[in-house]
Amino acid sequence: MSTAAAYKIKEARGLSPRISWLRDYYFKGAGRAWNNEYTAWTTGMPWDVQFDEMSYYIVPEMYAFNQTFRSSFQQSARNVDLHPDFWKWSLVERKAWFTREVMVNHVPAEILPGDLLAGARFNLQGSRCWNKKEAAGRDRMIYGKKGARATMKWFHDHGYGNSGATSGHLIPWYERVLKTGWKGIHTDLVTRYNSLSTSEKNGPRGAQLRAMMTAATMPRDLAYKYSELCTGLSLKEKNPDRKQELEVMAKNLASAPWEPAENFWEAVQSLWITHMLIMSDENYPGPGVSFGRFDQYLLPYWRKSIAQGMDRDFGKEILKCFWFHCNTVYDAMVQVGNQGITSGFGQLITLSGMGKDGKDLTNELTYVILEVIDEMTPILEPKPNVRLHLNTPDELLDAVVDMISSSQGAPFLLNFDERSMAGMMREARRADIGHLINEKNVHDYAPVGCLENTMQGNDRSGTVDNNINLLKAVELALTGGKDLLEFTDMITGKTDPVKQDGLRTGDATKFRTWDEFWAAYASQTRYLIKKCVSVYERSERIRAEFAPTPYLSCLVKGCAEKGMDVTRGGAEISFVTIEGVTFATTVDSLLAIKYLVFDKKECTMEQLITALRDNWVGHDILQAKAKNRAPKYGQDDNDADAMASAVMDLWTEETWKYRTKSTGRRFRPGMLSWNYWVGDGYVMAASADGRPKGQFLSNAICPSNGADVKGPTANTNSVGKALGGMSKDSAGDWNGYMNSLPNGASHTITFSPSLIRDPEHKAKFKAFLRGYARNGGTALQVNMIDADMLRDAQQHPRNYRHLLVRVTGYNAYFTAIGRELQDEIIARESHKRY
Amino acid sequence: MTEAKKTTGLVLNIQRMSTDDGPGLRTTVFLKGCSLACSWCHNPESISFHKEVQWIETRCINCKTCIAACPKQAITDTGPGLSIDRSACDACGECVSECPTCAMEILGAEWGALSLADEVEKDRSFFGETGGVTVSGGEPTAQADFTAAFLMHCRARGIHTALDTCGQCSRSALETILPHADMVLYDLKEIDPGLHKRFTGAANDKILENIRYVAGYCADRNIGLWVRTPVIPGATARDENIAGIGAFISANLHGTVQRWELCSFNNLCRDKYRRLDLGWEFAHEQLLGRDMMEHYAEVAKKSGVDPLIVHWSGATRMELKTAENDEQSEKISSLGRETMRCN
Repeated sequence: MSTAAAYKIKEARGLSPRISWLRDYYFKGAGRAWNNEYTAWTTGMPWDVQFDEMSYYIVPEMYAFNQTFRSSFQQSARNVDLHPDFWKWSLVERKAWFTREVMVNHVPAEILPGDLLAGARFNLQGSRCWNKKEAAGRDRMIYGKKGARATMKWFHDHGYGNSGATSGHLIPWYERVLKTGWKGIHTDLVTRYNSLSTSEKNGPRGAQLRAMMTAATMPRDLAYKYSELCTGLSLKEKNPDRKQELEVMAKNLASAPWEPAENFWEAVQSLWITHMLIMSDENYPGPGVSFGRFDQYLLPYWRKSIAQGMDRDFGKEILKCFWFHCNTVYDAMVQVGNQGITSGFGQLITLSGMGKDGKDLTNELTYVILEVIDEMTPILEPKPNVRLHLNTPDELLDAVVDMISSSQGAPFLLNFDERSMAGMMREARRADIGHLINEKNVHDYAPVGCLENTMQGNDRSGTVDNNINLLKAVELALTGGKDLLEFTDMITGKTDPVKQDGLRTGDATKFRTWDEFWAAYASQTRYLIKKCVSVYERSERIRAEFAPTPYLSCLVKGCAEKGMDVTRGGAEISFVTIEGVTFATTVDSLLAIKYLVFDKKECTMEQLITALRDNWVGHDILQAKAKNRAPKYGQDDNDADAMASAVMDLWTEETWKYRTKSTGRRFRPGMLSWNYWVGDGYVMAASADGRPKGQFLSNAICPSNGADVKGPTANTNSVGKALGGMSKDSAGDWNGYMNSLPNGASHTITFSPSLIRDPEHKAKFKAFLRGYARNGGTALQVNMIDADMLRDAQQHPRNYRHLLVRVTGYNAYFTAIGRELQDEIIARESHKRY
Repeated sequence: MTEAKKTTGLVLNIQRMSTDDGPGLRTTVFLKGCSLACSWCHNPESISFHKEVQWIETRCINCKTCIAACPKQAITDTGPGLSIDRSACDACGECVSECPTCAMEILGAEWGALSLADEVEKDRSFFGETGGVTVSGGEPTAQADFTAAFLMHCRARGIHTALDTCGQCSRSALETILPHADMVLYDLKEIDPGLHKRFTGAANDKILENIRYVAGYCADRNIGLWVRTPVIPGATARDENIAGIGAFISANLHGTVQRWELCSFNNLCRDKYRRLDLGWEFAHEQLLGRDMMEHYAEVAKKSGVDPLIVHWSGATRMELKTAENDEQSEKISSLGRETMRCN
């Protein structure tokens, strides 16, 4: 076979020289003369700190570097001359002033060649602005055996999961900035401040509002600076077209974002400056600071500009510049590699979806943006999320399926409105916030980060802050509350003795019925959630006390009203989400225990526990039975799926019971697994579903790898059932739909590209998506398998028992056909020819 | 339906989200047992009306549980793998229920018409306006009462029903089933009666007679009829056969056949023959080239039928191509067939 004809990867297309240059320039990464790398800034005090490790407590890969980052940013930080009264102010006022000072007067401002948007550098490691006493107090809470760091690390090392108060992950109130300008926000803050009593002014509310007033002038002053820069550049510019662009940019920036946006260009400019400064304020680039319903709130500006004669392609050009800027978040640690240390940022934009009374809100801007995505893809940011529902027009589905077919899978996530809205309504009911989320406004939800559903502009629900391994409760139920294996620290080599960490739920080998085991499991699940809540409390409290974000607080409804920073629970809707990880592995393990020990009596509980301690080594037959004969979630098998529902009900009901002590934020459930299902597979002991230690756990709400042998529709039906399915006797949470997870649940299904090879088959795939809206979950990532995956399947057939290849429309299990034919199929996939 | 009619059947497989057995997304139910025995059959396991046991080597961990479990001592370890003595095996299923990895598999399961309809209904949300259920085989007309009962239950639930048949059956079998079918997929494999007998074990007179009846039935009731022709190298892949089938359609079924699909030979079933300890004369046969399929499609279009009804699908041979050719071939829609059925 010719190597020249290697399989096709989607490439960017239809880009102007301007956008091609910017895009190519971005991908040069560390080779660029300009970048948006972190710059570090200090008050000059010896105790000063820039890097806040708590934002990375949910990133186990970072644990080893916490101290290194802290000290290296400290060492490289440049001094900022402080205001004479600086140390007299409250912490939040210091923070607002410092960030504003650095962004407006210290960080260089540049306009890149041809760029239509200003706002280039924003990745900051600014001073946390602590005085000596605050720095010491905060360190006391972080360090030491009972400190936040050790507690968090214990939680992770012992397989419970991870937890930490993390930045971002919300949809700021961007629409307000476009409508009233920052001037409107500032005026409102002044009015509120003036209406405070003297004692309130002297207290925390007064300090918070003063800090927010300072912060609210930051985008104005930075925009003015860029405006002057554009004017200067335009005077020197020889190309008359570019000269004119720079003149308009100067004019845009002199107005927006301080004034309301008057046209599309101003709106996008205003949005960008406003957005990037959140990342400066939080010292955190891009994680889940999401745009919400982008094609809805930008639509009036688009229509106005088109009516005023803006060329449609020029409008797209502005958006493509916006795309470029969103990607520069990855410059934060650009020296480490093109995408820094992680590509896990998620500045989501939401497109389409339902409006009032189920009416579809797809508009001409939706299609313009889809074109932009298609032409810019492959590119990482911003991450698009297309909302589908039962009344999604065919035209939009056609566009979605066409893009999936040309991009080795969807260049966006699909969000499903009915199920998602049911979750948000459940949240409103459980937390008694019907005045904030109700039948009239629930359609205005939007996802943040990856797929985590929230409301827009008034909601911070800590969507990645807690990730618990539900499977740990099965382990603890088997052992009566102890780790199955002792933990040895890889770096220190030190082994922790096994202790009675969990509840004493009894000796599992003495259980005579399944119900006894389930009761033990349920108790350990309650313990697991309680433990997570207590671990989280430490970082929540430290953040509330020491890490205010006054600029972000200006963009979240509720903070000005309460005079309370968003980190203290100022948002009108302020939950903390617990994301359940290892769901299917947990369900399948319970099904296996029930099947092997109680129903079929294939082994005793003691034999099973021994096999798990031995990591299944020497217990091949029992392991095979656990893997192959025990029932599994994900096959549309009502009995197995009933176990999934029971697990779901148990842990979600328990989650609703808790609030943070320091900030009063209620916990809510979700299922996003980020990449933990991979890494924690090496942390967690072998599980009763036949999985040895070291093998991946299940991902979010997906069935276990290899379990969904009945194909995508059965898989979808199981997921829908696990979330609650349809209500049988009432209206459900929303229009008959039930959903236990307001945050939503990540679901990935892999298809073969041949499934959508021609218009007739694309129509079939549309039917699948419409079916998903009826029966499935909240969010779906569509992958189209490629040859690499097939090669991996060849090497590791046991991981791919479910892999259907539709070469020639023939649905074969890839691993069940001979080697020679596998090679042929790989060759075909490689050539996209069937 | 009278109560006396048989409402359990022998089912080989239930394939959900099937994309190539009629319009839309479908659940295809493959029945076991066929009235023909085509030499190229893609689903040799569907021919016998009896349950069969097969060993799937990729799942086996060589624990030998099956050998001990077999009451007939029909399984032996031959070193490189297991061997099943087909004359001794009566498909009792002991080895299948004992095998820890599901490497021993039984082909064929009894299903009640009602519970089978329940199973199909699980995917109703995905059927949309055009999809539904297709009952295929093996040969569904060979289990006519069961097929009719099953399709009746599906249709009563508003599920679109399709019968996929080779036509080698009695008129009464068709009369039993057709009232419950919303469309028919009908195979015309070979126009020459002698060759038909040689390839499939039976002449085609009954098949041709039946399709006249079916076409009339469909025309009267405005029911869809698709004809499918397997294009098998060294057998049916001949100009005169394609032209002959086209002439037959044109002369006898004119205006009724909505679609005529030429389905290219598929060799993915090689392993199936091996697992059933069967030889296969097509084991070493190459796939047809794309140009060949395009050629037969042209022959079909010129055979007298409405050219718009002609489609071709299925795997074609890979050829070394330049990037330019690649571009071109991407534009052509080729494709798609299911092996879990009998051609």
